[in-house]
Amino acid sequence: MRLSTRKLLDRSFSGLGVFAILLMVGALLVLLAPIAARGSRAFVFRATVEHRQFMLEESGRGDHDAIDAEIRAAAEVRRKAYDMIARFEEELEAAGRSERRELRRSLREVKDHLAGLLGPAPGNARPVLLRDQYGQTRWDRALVGLGDFLYVTEYDYSDPSGMGRPLLVPRVDGFRGTSLEPLFAYVEQNLERMLRPRLTFYWRFLFDEGRDAHFFGGIWPAVLGTLYLTIGTMLIAAPVGIASAVYLAEFAGEGWLISLIRTCIGTLAGVPSIVFGLFGLAFFINTLGVSDSKSVLAGCLTLAVLVLPTVIRASEEAILAVPKTYKEASLSLGAGQGSTVLRVILPAALPGILTSVIISMGRAAGETAPIIFTAAVSLGRPLSLRQTLSQPTPALPWNIYNLCTEHEAVDQIRHVQYGMVLTLVLLVLLLNLAAILLRARLARRLAG
Amino acid sequence: MKRSTLRTVILLAVASAFALAVQTRGVHAQESTAGSTKIVVDGSTTVGPIAKAFAEHYMGLHPEVNITVSESGSGNGAKSLINGVCDVADMSRFMKEREFKAAVEKGVMPVAHVVAMDGLPIIVHPSNPVKALTVQQVRDIYTGKITNWREVGGPNVRIVKISRDTNSGTYETFAKLIMKKEKIAPDTEHVGSNGAVRQRVQSTPAAIGYAGLGFVDRTVKALGINGVYPDRESVRSGRYPIARPLFMFTDGYPALGTRLHAFVTLHLSPKGQEIIEDIGFVPVTDY
Repeated sequence: MRLSTRKLLDRSFSGLGVFAILLMVGALLVLLAPIAARGSRAFVFRATVEHRQFMLEESGRGDHDAIDAEIRAAAEVRRKAYDMIARFEEELEAAGRSERRELRRSLREVKDHLAGLLGPAPGNARPVLLRDQYGQTRWDRALVGLGDFLYVTEYDYSDPSGMGRPLLVPRVDGFRGTSLEPLFAYVEQNLERMLRPRLTFYWRFLFDEGRDAHFFGGIWPAVLGTLYLTIGTMLIAAPVGIASAVYLAEFAGEGWLISLIRTCIGTLAGVPSIVFGLFGLAFFINTLGVSDSKSVLAGCLTLAVLVLPTVIRASEEAILAVPKTYKEASLSLGAGQGSTVLRVILPAALPGILTSVIISMGRAAGETAPIIFTAAVSLGRPLSLRQTLSQPTPALPWNIYNLCTEHEAVDQIRHVQYGMVLTLVLLVLLLNLAAILLRARLARRLAG
Repeated sequence: MKRSTLRTVILLAVASAFALAVQTRGVHAQESTAGSTKIVVDGSTTVGPIAKAFAEHYMGLHPEVNITVSESGSGNGAKSLINGVCDVADMSRFMKEREFKAAVEKGVMPVAHVVAMDGLPIIVHPSNPVKALTVQQVRDIYTGKITNWREVGGPNVRIVKISRDTNSGTYETFAKLIMKKEKIAPDTEHVGSNGAVRQRVQSTPAAIGYAGLGFVDRTVKALGINGVYPDRESVRSGRYPIARPLFMFTDGYPALGTRLHAFVTLHLSPKGQEIIEDIGFVPVTDY
């Protein structure tokens, strides 16, 4: 091959490498940018006076007098709308019977939509569900609610060959010529004064418990549950995994039994995670009975079994990579095999072992399938350390799935779902970062 | 010397593990006399919203209690109760004979608490001009005899059939009341929860599906069945043909005065009825 061809090939190869890296960065951006953009809306959003009222009444946060003044000011603007409805109801009494029934049904819808925006009308009994006790807490949701208040979506079925086309019909059309007609324009123009949106940084989203099926509050039980599961898993998997790796690398020698065990570990690493989940349910809960229901402990054990192969394999590689001379030097100085492993080989292999633990930690935090049957629930309190032995917990990966597929009103609480996704991604990132820093420090100390 | 420290560490670890185990056992004994502070609820995704709202309501009044709710389907709820890993099994269908047998063999005596009534609206995309079907037509759609909306008065569009998975109590109800032992066509899509059915239907103009009453909102259109539209009144009176009770099962009737008893009888209180009504289901105790 001529030199110029070789150079060209060489250059195109590095070009390919750069292209691959750029592609990866691009993919990462495409993936992470929407997560960050949408997820941050759970933390930073324009909160209405309803949000502040909720915070004050449910957890005593905020300046009592200032919020009271705000509520009064908002109520002043709202009163005009309620007065219009009251006047219209009086007028309705005078109308004919058939006309009355039709208008009454439309009025019912108007009032329902208004209650969704502003909370229950004054004078009405306090509803039992929190979501009905307050109006929209977020301005972005309030604007969606305003659209539903102003327009009815009807469908035009006139074309028999296809599906109907959606038509936005102004709700006010049903009330032309009545005293309710000005209500719609009034609400549209004054909604901002009725709800008083203000940009709010709700950092407590992380540390608040969710209220009323995530309509209010934050995601603390799920965050804490994920932390418990991740750390608990590593507490079990790391010692067991490293001990097995030491045994396999230093003491086991060669033999058909050992190679069978190695093959089994390799196979285990390829088993789908849902199989581990079912195994955990059948073995740890139903057979061993480590707890009398799903529990964090059972989840940790299951996740530990899941990540063990990775920990064992990578740790073994790290131990085998320690130069033979270290071991020989230690043995020649009269150290026993045990202390050679503990004091010479393991410290030298520690950075590699930590890498395996780091990778496994990220996996344990994000796995959903193994914890469905062993640890995760869609609603629960944040647990104390002792409760983790016997009680299940919400956990981020499961709750994200649960919210988007099973929640009865998911369209109204998408921000919570995105917030959870962002938190999970950041959590895994932070765990990894911490471990990488630790590893770097260790490596430096060992080198020096 | 070094070896002995290692031994001490291992001994300490084993000892502390034992201590922890003994300690938790002690806690269990203590709890069982005062009524457990932990209630584990598992099962139907239809009953899920009720169970979650009840749990939050109850925990609001009794902050020392932790009620956990998972929604894994009626079948899984029954299995959990039989295996003794949950206290309350939410179910949107009654227990089957073999589930009862399995339960009794394990010493679990299932007791049913009917917490609410539910209709099973047949839902389509709101752009679909079809307003009503008969039970026979719905059955023919799901068996595959009717494959085009044109055959039931709609446009010339192929029907996309959405059904629940076979672990679901909603599926069982549908199979019993609509399909009447006929097989659902193999080209039907099976999804895992009520919410997933609604999302599939609201995003697919040609779709048809079914879900619990509490899951039907303005983004989908409920069809009239045999001329009756599903609402509280028609479900309560039995005029709507696809209605069913929603259950919570416990192992035996819970001892009076326990938290478990209070939880599974919450639907009898005025607050409980209001919660059920607000979520969109029909209270049983409506006089």
